[in-house]
Amino acid sequence: MAEITVFTAKKIHTMNPSLPHASAVAVRDGRIIEVGSLETLKPWLDQHAHHIDNRFADHVIMPGFIDPHLHPTLGAILLTCPFITAIEWRLPDRICPAVTSHEAYVARLAEIEAEFAGTDDILVTWGFHRIWHGDVNRTVLNAISTTRPIFVWQRSFHEIIANDAGIEWLGVARADLERHPQIDLSTGRFFETGMAVAAQSLNKVLMEPTRFRRGLELVKQAVHLGGHTTIGELAYPLLDDAREWALLSETLERDDVPFRMKITPRALGRGKFEGNASEDVERIKGFKGRDSHRLFFGNSVKLFTDGGFFAELMQMMDPGFIDGHHGEWLMAPEQFEKHARAFWREGKQIHVHCTGDMGLELALDTLEKLQAEKPRFNHRFTIEHFGVSNPEQVRRIADLGAIVSANVYYLHELGEAYWQKSIGFERASQMARVGSLERAGVTFALHSDFTMAPALPLNSAWVAVNRIAESGAVLCAEECVSLDAAMRAITIDAAYVLAMENEIGSIRAGKKADFTILEQDPWDVPLEKLRDIPIWGTVFEGTPFPHSK
Amino acid sequence: MSERIPITLLSGYLGSGKTTIVNHLLRAEKNLRLAVLVNDFGAVNIDADLIRNSDATSVELTNGCVCCSIGDDLGAALSAQRERTPPPDAILLEASGVSEPARIARLVGHWPGFTLDAIIVAADGETVRQRAGDKFVSHLVQSQLQCADIIALTKTDLISSQACLRVQAWLRTASSAPVVIAPDGAVPPELAFGANSGQRRDGPQPEDSEHPAFATFTWTPSHPVDIARLQVVLGNLHEDIHRVKGQLVDARTRTPMLVQKVGQRCAITHASDAEQFCLVMISADEQMDFKQVAADLDACAAASR
Repeated sequence: MAEITVFTAKKIHTMNPSLPHASAVAVRDGRIIEVGSLETLKPWLDQHAHHIDNRFADHVIMPGFIDPHLHPTLGAILLTCPFITAIEWRLPDRICPAVTSHEAYVARLAEIEAEFAGTDDILVTWGFHRIWHGDVNRTVLNAISTTRPIFVWQRSFHEIIANDAGIEWLGVARADLERHPQIDLSTGRFFETGMAVAAQSLNKVLMEPTRFRRGLELVKQAVHLGGHTTIGELAYPLLDDAREWALLSETLERDDVPFRMKITPRALGRGKFEGNASEDVERIKGFKGRDSHRLFFGNSVKLFTDGGFFAELMQMMDPGFIDGHHGEWLMAPEQFEKHARAFWREGKQIHVHCTGDMGLELALDTLEKLQAEKPRFNHRFTIEHFGVSNPEQVRRIADLGAIVSANVYYLHELGEAYWQKSIGFERASQMARVGSLERAGVTFALHSDFTMAPALPLNSAWVAVNRIAESGAVLCAEECVSLDAAMRAITIDAAYVLAMENEIGSIRAGKKADFTILEQDPWDVPLEKLRDIPIWGTVFEGTPFPHSK
Repeated sequence: MSERIPITLLSGYLGSGKTTIVNHLLRAEKNLRLAVLVNDFGAVNIDADLIRNSDATSVELTNGCVCCSIGDDLGAALSAQRERTPPPDAILLEASGVSEPARIARLVGHWPGFTLDAIIVAADGETVRQRAGDKFVSHLVQSQLQCADIIALTKTDLISSQACLRVQAWLRTASSAPVVIAPDGAVPPELAFGANSGQRRDGPQPEDSEHPAFATFTWTPSHPVDIARLQVVLGNLHEDIHRVKGQLVDARTRTPMLVQKVGQRCAITHASDAEQFCLVMISADEQMDFKQVAADLDACAAASR
């Protein structure tokens, strides 16, 4: 048995309401022996070899942060691209400052192009948004380079703009591009189904194994940068299982990786909308036995109701979208019910991607039927994302015993845009109504769905307590949550959503020794400064992992 | 550039009978080398003695057709078909039950190397009306019907003849597309695929166990044709003439034109090469009388003389 290490700190927020604050925590073999003060730890220390580690004497220790819904594979594809974004992104290898005008966008892109000098790499940049960056078109891109293929990928993945060299590089017959109603060669725009044509060629570069490994390495660092010690991959696999498992194992199951990942498989394969539920139940049983130390499956499964929130494809109840378009279903409602029933009967924890209020309605109607057919307690049916909802649905979530994992960042980035362009002020300002959840006593976590939001738990908590939108305005202060609830939502309540609350999420005897080390106390800084608290690094299973300076 | 491969999109909500139609068309098509792309590969029923080769994601038939799983990337699945030597004559693509056919048609009909032929939407005679009023899918089901070039009304053998008439009458209010009755998924391949599938003799075509009845009529103009007038005739065509295809000479410009009509969607475009000048019309009604339309068409040629 190893020696006990005692970490002392300015303050320890245990997130255990029975002993909320402490000043020392004793750790052995990756687990917590006891938390309290050097005084209260004495009986352990008198009997066992130990040393006192004072390196955190000026720091605040919290339970290791948990993001219960994040997609490393998706992140790996994006992080190898230079970002030019309207909102600042802090990434492990760079800080991407907010670029908010056309001139600044073009200047930044030219700078990045210059950095590519001497290579014949194509340049794919992500984050473009017309509201801020104006008309970036083929002519503008040609002025930056006539020889290097440049692709400007829009923030919500709807559109790609290319220069002449880029259009040529795609290798698609010009006549095929010219006749496409969603490709405009004069402006270099490829949108919606036209974008799929461009993406087909780009994927060969973005998914190329060396580049993809580099991307995963960056994701690994990004997860550490956010202060996480546990993440949930909530829709495995994104690619094909064999290839993705090999890449994830090779990159993440290593001693230098300071976090673990619980994997929730998709009930249906990617790109599938229909299937035989009992075959899918069997397929998911097949993941059993594959667990390693850091990568493991549990008893959970992922289902989908409606389309993407950034893509405005959520299913909305009346009065729908201002422009009259309709969202989409990712599974036929009857198919959703069949799959949900099959996994409910298996005793699985079901996570459901729901973005619009109609998507949520389908999830709740289905849960109500399943509860009538086979009542279950502690089932942890989880509503994922929780974009648009109404107060009556929150009450129903509580009545049916469901819980929520919310992407509250939607409000920050999309609240004002959707107010103006999509669904109007009333519903847009109330998106991610987490305050109602707190009042109704519904357990909820906050997630990033990275790369939909930055993988920074303190940033998510900051949105939840302040509801500050992109312009700085506060949207629907009534739906702010308390600081306590927000901090629970990235620690113990996130652990509950992952069904791992007996192992992680708070600092108490017996749990894994996972800590996030902060340079300031979240309960001491003004709420508007919550996201600015510097993170020293983490402790994963007793081993400190400082952020590199 | 080689010719674009025509795609017939088969849409329809969950349980509307798409797979049955796929099974039927795979058996009934005798002339074309089809590639059939489906979501659920296991549901397609192929007689063992027709299989030449098979693996986890595709089956190659002795008649030259293939049936493939779409997998998670529709674009890649299409491009793979184009890479085959020789490429297929036509694609039958089964859309998922929750997809908006207009969007899929935009995607696949403009995918490099492909062109949209027709959108067939399967409607379940038993349940389509109820689903068109459902809390969650009413909009989807209605929009699928509205996008159709041809609606294949399935499962009519499970309802009374009165109920069948009622649902047909309702479908006429829900969509402008002609309705073909297709119990057991029996859609004539001649309706599903506009690609040249060899010469067919005119008149009612005898029904066999695999091949539902239909009628064809070939009109050969005596002179170049007044295209504006032809457009009017085609626009007012009997709704049970489901397809028109052929090449004609424009009386004004004296250039060859390609005429294609599926359901209510009609396109008259410049023809790249023309061998034979005639229009072939196909109806799923084997008793269709083409006398009136022949007279109307003759007038288009006569007027331009």
